[in-house]
Amino acid sequence: MSRVQKKKVAVVQCAGGCRRQTEVGRPAGNGYQTEGSGPAGNGCQTEGSGPAENGCQQILETKADAVSCEYGCLGGGSCVAACRLHAVYINARGAAEVDPEKCAGCGLCAKACPRNLIRITSVEYNIYPACVSEDAGAQTRKNCDTGCIACGICVRNCPMAAISIENNHAVIDEEKCIACGMCAVKCPRGAIRDYNGIFTVREAQVGS
Amino acid sequence: MKETYTFTVNGVERTTTEDKPLLRYLRDDLHLHSVKDGCSEGACGTCTILVDGRAVKSCVLTTKRAVGKSIMTTEGLSEEEKEAFVYAFGAKGSVQCGFCIPGMVMAGKALIDRVPDPTEEEIKVALKGNVCRCTGYKKIIEGIQLTAAILRGDAQIETDLEKGDVYGVGQHAFRLDVREKVLGYGEYPDDVEMEGMVYASAVRSKYPRARILDIHTEKALALPGVLAVLTADDVPNNKVGHLQQDWDVMIAKGSITRCVGDAICLVVAETREILEKARKLIKIDYEELKPVTSIAEARAEDAPNVHSKGNLCQSRHVTRGDAKKALAESKYVVTQTYKTPFTEHAFLEPESAVAFPYKDGVKVLSSDQGVYDTRKEISIMLGWDPERVVVENKLVGGGFGGKEDVSAQHIAALAALKVNRPVKVTFSRQESINFHPKRHAMEGTFTLGCDENGIFTGLDCEIYFDTGAYASLCGPVLERACTHSVGPYCYQNTDIRGYGYYTNNPPAGAFRGFGVCQSEFALESNINLLAEKVGISPWEIRYRNAIEPGKVLPNGQIADCSTALKETLLAVKDAYESNPGRAGIACAMKNAGVGVGLPDKGRAKLIVHDGKVELYSAASDIGQGCATVFVQMVAETTGLGKEQIVNKGANSEVAPDSGTTSGSRQTLITGEAVRMASADLNEDLKKAGGDLSQLEGKEYFAEFFDPTDKLGADVPNPKSHVAYGFATHVVILDDDGRVKEVYAAHDSGKVVNPISIQGQIEGGVLMGLGYALTEDFPLKDGVPQARYGTLGLMRSTQIPDIHAIYVEKEELLPFAYGAKGIGEIATIPTAPAAQGAYYAMDHVLRTKLPMENTYYSKKQKAVK
Repeated sequence: MSRVQKKKVAVVQCAGGCRRQTEVGRPAGNGYQTEGSGPAGNGCQTEGSGPAENGCQQILETKADAVSCEYGCLGGGSCVAACRLHAVYINARGAAEVDPEKCAGCGLCAKACPRNLIRITSVEYNIYPACVSEDAGAQTRKNCDTGCIACGICVRNCPMAAISIENNHAVIDEEKCIACGMCAVKCPRGAIRDYNGIFTVREAQVGS
Repeated sequence: MKETYTFTVNGVERTTTEDKPLLRYLRDDLHLHSVKDGCSEGACGTCTILVDGRAVKSCVLTTKRAVGKSIMTTEGLSEEEKEAFVYAFGAKGSVQCGFCIPGMVMAGKALIDRVPDPTEEEIKVALKGNVCRCTGYKKIIEGIQLTAAILRGDAQIETDLEKGDVYGVGQHAFRLDVREKVLGYGEYPDDVEMEGMVYASAVRSKYPRARILDIHTEKALALPGVLAVLTADDVPNNKVGHLQQDWDVMIAKGSITRCVGDAICLVVAETREILEKARKLIKIDYEELKPVTSIAEARAEDAPNVHSKGNLCQSRHVTRGDAKKALAESKYVVTQTYKTPFTEHAFLEPESAVAFPYKDGVKVLSSDQGVYDTRKEISIMLGWDPERVVVENKLVGGGFGGKEDVSAQHIAALAALKVNRPVKVTFSRQESINFHPKRHAMEGTFTLGCDENGIFTGLDCEIYFDTGAYASLCGPVLERACTHSVGPYCYQNTDIRGYGYYTNNPPAGAFRGFGVCQSEFALESNINLLAEKVGISPWEIRYRNAIEPGKVLPNGQIADCSTALKETLLAVKDAYESNPGRAGIACAMKNAGVGVGLPDKGRAKLIVHDGKVELYSAASDIGQGCATVFVQMVAETTGLGKEQIVNKGANSEVAPDSGTTSGSRQTLITGEAVRMASADLNEDLKKAGGDLSQLEGKEYFAEFFDPTDKLGADVPNPKSHVAYGFATHVVILDDDGRVKEVYAAHDSGKVVNPISIQGQIEGGVLMGLGYALTEDFPLKDGVPQARYGTLGLMRSTQIPDIHAIYVEKEELLPFAYGAKGIGEIATIPTAPAAQGAYYAMDHVLRTKLPMENTYYSKKQKAVK
């Protein structure tokens, strides 16, 4: 029998929760973040009320400086609109999140993201840094609660020496990574995530 | 109110108030000992469990983060799953030392639950986080495939296999220890719990070389729950050592440390937690001194002495004929210098021992390669008659030579006698890496000559070993490196000089291959260069020179009738020749038995008790499977089945000394003793008409000793060893320079257990590939820089296709049904064969291990 050898999956390299976003009152009110329904309920994908394909682009053009850290998710939902499997949604923290069970790793969402925040990876690498901010740690702290501040605790605790700090954020070398989760457990900021929701809690599980 | 964490474990709801690694909660609070602690760093995978159906390392996840989750260990598998895993892992030979196995089982289950019919690729990916140092993964992958098939209903359990009514030599014997190791109820020392047991751990030196100015223990002693802090003053005789007693149990105040593994004091406390706190309260004042960190520094005239007698620990001069003259008259001569690194054994089970006062002395539950060796070292330390010390092996989670010296055993005994309670000492992974002796790093210059037809004429070589801080087994290891540097050929002119130097690096000692991995890498690499000069292939030059029965080895020993090197060469000829420019080849020989005139004796005692034959022989089964081999020998001789024979294990109180598990000796040396005792029993059994009950209470003892000649004995053809195993390996690369296939053909005499020998060969080959390509042991000023995860151990996703081939001759040695042992040789020819393959590919001679500029080294660099 033939089987796809390596299933791919998309991960969003931003955990959301940008302070500046919250200040300007986004993303609530966009209509697609249905209260309490979560991603499984699919209530966010109703015809007509869904996000526009150029949602993020519009935010960038109109409210550029006001809305978020320079590197984070805009929450405009371009990726949500691009996904044909309804695997991407905007979570309660205002950032895109992928349901790995639904995701096929096609990469449409990654192409749609104007900030190149979505990475396609193999399912066995369920541990990923959810921040690619190049700001210095102090600035990242101001921006949000979950951004990588390049403290290096993950680097020191990784048993495989698979993590390095590049441009002020943690980068995992998947050739070396064995997805043990140590970095996710040790990260004081919760910036390294487990999309299986075991070492770190997924947004979808919080309310449930 | 304290926060509580609630989750379910194997279907039962559990609540705790402590936030700690799940590994500790499962082992210490719930006593689920299938969850093994191999590193506590997330690197090894022995503690793998299921969390919400996914394979997770329990040392990483914490109780706090596990809230609401469903956790499963092997204890929680269904009966159907348990039986499927036990049968499949036994039938496929997936189990050796067993320490990684429960983790492998859980990783396998997580996969099978999602993918009932997993491909080999999917299994490899699923096991990527789980290290196995014994099997080479192939047998575990096959075990998981068969388990899946059974659970799907595509394969059946054949209960007769585990029952083992037919269990003789050459049978597909189901190992004795499969069930306990697969289900995780078998006990390694760290799994032992005793009434009133307390914990001890050494505080070790911060610097490889420093004077101990003072040791401040007051704060630690003041901590409630701390029972004692011992220093060198508390040790009756502060020296241990496998052969040379040069190893300080603890470094005394005023003395100078020799490596970072050196113990300075020993803390004993009621619990692990208090112990950890107390260790941090110990303050040591050092005067840091410049360490000796290389052979060159050790040889320098103004070098500080690591030991008072100077830095030359051991030397050997092995010579025969006239190498100088032979080389001068040779048509072709090649001289090259080679360099090989320290290698860490990386056995999955870190050192652990439990000791307690016993009769008029002390008893130690150990994990070692020779209970009588451990007994001897402890009795020397205590200044006692050896009989007062009893050492019993629990399961041994891998050794590979690294558990020949005492590590935790003697300090556990010391602490137990001090506090008069059972004491457990378990090393952390880093402590293990820093403490136990490694494979010696070597620098050697080899000159080999041949005539116009490629027939070898003579060898001159100089071998330098870095033996680190202590001698350990430097003498015999250096000696084997010298005696085997000649290779399995026929020339008669050799001049081999070997030197082992003390440095402040971690000690070096025994490691599978026993010095021969180093010297054969150099020799076999030189042979390829000679072949090129002569204009014949690397296969051809080896075949022309190969030893055969009746011919004389370079050490003067006449090759016995069982010698089958040429057969191994022929077995890989097609594989070698059909991959031009991509294949490398190398041969090796390895002694079975200690030899060289030493009283290397095998002993066994059989007692008929309760209608069964009990086998007593203190031979450590460190995972290689000798305990099963011995029972097969009894079965072969008596016709009894597995269920009528009980191996009582290695216990110095009841089992006779049968030597160290070293030198590939147990199958032959102890195996023959077992056969002899069994033959005596069988005589009586025949007289009793096959009725074992008539022999109730009878004892049969046998001792086997086949004398050998001392090194340099003044006889024309000294018999150096009882037997030699021979092998040829072929390593084949793909176009990217990745190892695609390895053909490993072995002459180990009669094969006792065809499944076990494949596992030994595959595991040995993978260890050899690691040595060649990925494993290193970097030191910075004498301090190891590697952690378990960065040693470069090959993982399941990196393995090539390994073809284990054994050639069995009609003519066999008259011992142990003709078996010769496989333990070490499986790992020897792989590195030079890999070197030869790269040389064939790009014509760059790589003289250093791990090899540079390969597919593997490039990948390492690219990510930095």
